Amino acid sequence: MYLAKRLVGSLFVLLGVALIVFFISHVLSPDPALLWAGPKARPETIQAVAAEYHLNAPIFTQLYYYFQGLITGNFGLDPQTGRPILSEILFYAPNTLELVLAAMAIIVVAGVGLGYISGMRFGTKIDSAIRIFYLLTWSTPYYLGALAAVLVFSSYIPIFPSGGNGSVGVAYNSITGIFVLDTLLQANWPAFESGLYHLVLPATTLALLSFGIVPRIMRSSILDTRWSTHVKAARARGLDEGEVRRKHILRNALIDTTTVVATTFGWLFSGTIIIEQIFAWPGIGQFSYNAIISANYPVLVACVFVFTLGVIIANFIADILYTVLDPRITLGEGG
Amino acid sequence: MTSTGTPKPTTQQASTTTTSTGTITSPTSSRTSLTVEEEDQPDSLDPAVTYVTPGWEVVDQVYQGLITYNGSSITQYEGVLAKTWTVSGDGMNYTFFLRNGVTFSNGDPFNAYVMWYSVYRTIVMGQAPYWILAQNLAAGNGGNFSVTDAMLDSINYAGPSPANLTVMTYPDQSVQVINASEIQFNLGYGTNGEVPYSQFLATLQTPMAMAVDPAYVAAHGGVVAGQRNGWMTSNVMGTGFYELQSWVPSQSVSLLKNPDYWADGLPTSELNNAIAPAILNNIIIYFKPSAASIADLRSGTAQMILAPVTYYNVTRDIPGVTTTILGPAFGSAEATSYVYMDPLAFQPFNSTLVREAISYAIDYQAIISDVFAGNAIQWVGPVPPGFQDYNQSTAGLSPYQFNATKAADLLAQAGYVSKLPDGTKLNPNGTPFPGVGFLYDSDSPTDTQAAQIIASNLASVGITVNPLPLPYETYTSVIYSGSTNSTQYPMGIGFYTEDYTASIDYVYYFTSDNYVGTSNYNDPSAIAWTLNASASSNNSVVVSDFAYITRDMYYNYTNVWLYVADFMTVNQSGITGMIPNPAGSSAGYFLYFNTVEYTG
Repeated sequence: MYLAKRLVGSLFVLLGVALIVFFISHVLSPDPALLWAGPKARPETIQAVAAEYHLNAPIFTQLYYYFQGLITGNFGLDPQTGRPILSEILFYAPNTLELVLAAMAIIVVAGVGLGYISGMRFGTKIDSAIRIFYLLTWSTPYYLGALAAVLVFSSYIPIFPSGGNGSVGVAYNSITGIFVLDTLLQANWPAFESGLYHLVLPATTLALLSFGIVPRIMRSSILDTRWSTHVKAARARGLDEGEVRRKHILRNALIDTTTVVATTFGWLFSGTIIIEQIFAWPGIGQFSYNAIISANYPVLVACVFVFTLGVIIANFIADILYTVLDPRITLGEGG
Repeated sequence: MTSTGTPKPTTQQASTTTTSTGTITSPTSSRTSLTVEEEDQPDSLDPAVTYVTPGWEVVDQVYQGLITYNGSSITQYEGVLAKTWTVSGDGMNYTFFLRNGVTFSNGDPFNAYVMWYSVYRTIVMGQAPYWILAQNLAAGNGGNFSVTDAMLDSINYAGPSPANLTVMTYPDQSVQVINASEIQFNLGYGTNGEVPYSQFLATLQTPMAMAVDPAYVAAHGGVVAGQRNGWMTSNVMGTGFYELQSWVPSQSVSLLKNPDYWADGLPTSELNNAIAPAILNNIIIYFKPSAASIADLRSGTAQMILAPVTYYNVTRDIPGVTTTILGPAFGSAEATSYVYMDPLAFQPFNSTLVREAISYAIDYQAIISDVFAGNAIQWVGPVPPGFQDYNQSTAGLSPYQFNATKAADLLAQAGYVSKLPDGTKLNPNGTPFPGVGFLYDSDSPTDTQAAQIIASNLASVGITVNPLPLPYETYTSVIYSGSTNSTQYPMGIGFYTEDYTASIDYVYYFTSDNYVGTSNYNDPSAIAWTLNASASSNNSVVVSDFAYITRDMYYNYTNVWLYVADFMTVNQSGITGMIPNPAGSSAGYFLYFNTVEYTG
């Protein structure tokens, strides 16, 4: 029942997002054919583009054709490349997912770990150092942080490649579209190694520039929990300190942190726009950016769809994790 | 007149080279491979569609046309798929005699039928750059003959039937097959009307006239009138010295030496720089921001980068790297910048005094020194500096000068309140100059800085401009749209880069196209001079027409000509063999990677 409710709710969210993007795009660019036809296109070329995409039709007719494409699931043809948008999304999205998942792994490990240490070492120099570290990285703009990473680790201390996902010149079959995973599944070890090697710097950069909220919330949750009565009671019952920390402090502190991690997942998608540009990462962030600046709303809506879907799924996973972390929580109860 | 190609590449013109000595950290690529980095990426790899330098850069390596520029020249040509050619006395017919034994990299044959198909494919698809050919050529003859998409897809180009031959050899059409190795272009069907076109060969040098394999296209969606072919956007099948290994959008293009290149077996005496087999096995082009590219250049990861001239002081100090400032005209699609002022969109611009005042209000040297660190020149348009006709067209004219006092005086004479540099108001009872929107490309750091300086210059004489920054794509869609749309953008920094390398391309834009970005200049005399120049093969007539136009625009202050930025080349010092050409698209300043060597 809960799942059905969530699905229906998500459907409305997707619908709303599609409508908003469609109308905003039309307001921002009342004559997209000018952009889609290409620079210096002659009137007859612009007219052909307008006719192909029904741009001269009333806006609700355009909306009809637009939703027709959405419902049939193919998103139509990219007005700027002539390729099916779905195939473009299926190329770009897995690359971004690879980057985001790698960054998420770093965020969860580093963010939760540092937050835990910081909370447990409250008021010490370690606590201060960790707080300074995550505030510093969190307040660094993506553009600056990414360029600094390239400059330091690809130029002055050239231990990592400055860009690309390692797939140039590599023959492999795309199964999931995620290069590292595909090469792993095919036991193509040199390509897998190359993929990992190319992934380290952009994923770490993305993670460090986005993870500040996770240790902060984790730290604060630890502080809330470690002096709470149930922890005191656990200790009073003579439980082992390690068990107290693991089962009563960490586990409870993770409930709030899980929410933040899920939110961060959505945030990472937007962060990839700049990271992907600087690291020449062929992901959906760059694809979306190009769609935004050229008012390519058929592509833009498809991208927003993917982003929205990502956030919905992340939140859904967070909901499930709540029930794992706190048995008192049951999905679907209490509205 | 008869022209034949005689290969003899010339060396690049005036340039300044700075090589930093020292050692570089061990380069990661081998000498058979070259890594190039640049910011922008291809729009498409379909020769009928691509309209940006990075697209042409790739297309130039994998596809080939009939002719190309001879070395660094833009007035002399050499054969590529054509061995020789002739031009009729009236300049209306160009006949090309094709090379034998040319094949696409999949083994499909090239012949005159394929060339016929390729040119008509571009025209029938009608994508943004097709007008380059459509000036002189058309799918129909205005009467009983018209080439359609269905017709293009139905012909057997490897062994045409008599019915196919009847179509392709029909004399009253733009592109006429004479026989399997001879093809004739008949001018007069295009938008220019029934006149010759002196720069027709320059239009044939563009990707729009490159040979495309009909069988390959037919197997992947064929030709659809007015539409792009999604497959051909990212897949290629050409006759060139390189093949496409991969295009990972937003990341890289990788080119591999064509193992079955048709010219591999040709004796050296028959080769020229445009058809010689490639030296390097692999060219990888990454698309990264300039700052990241410079980091890679420093580490040796990249051997050649394309960066704006504003980075000159950075790259010239990198050990083992050669940075060269090229002379005017060199550098892809010379970008000429100016301020446009549309009198139809903003009433005060109807006054020549106002336009003249603006020409005096701008501190050109401050822009050149502050924005470009001196690596730009002022110019007088519309012929771009460095081009053959520039000096003669602008003889006796000096670029507009900065004189704030004179600007204020002229503005007062036009009836407006103005300010002298010391703050004194002139004509205090006059009309306050109304605020005016000022458009510029916000993606361009140089234009953004220049716009700020111009806004400050104009404010100091009493003209308030409201900045209207737009991202590049939107900006270009505005400046290249019809001037009837200009009310919202009556003034701004305009720029023009060539579509094909000829002065007439610039002149046409400024005089005949009626774009927002050309100040709605619509002078019948200028249009007549332009058409006369475009049709004439007599250089003194061309120069004379250009001189009339230049003076007309100069003394009317139609546009305020600003600057042309220098172009710089940056590569590891072991990279040689590039032949710079003003039409260059490879790394922005040369045409073909086949002659490039890496011995570093």
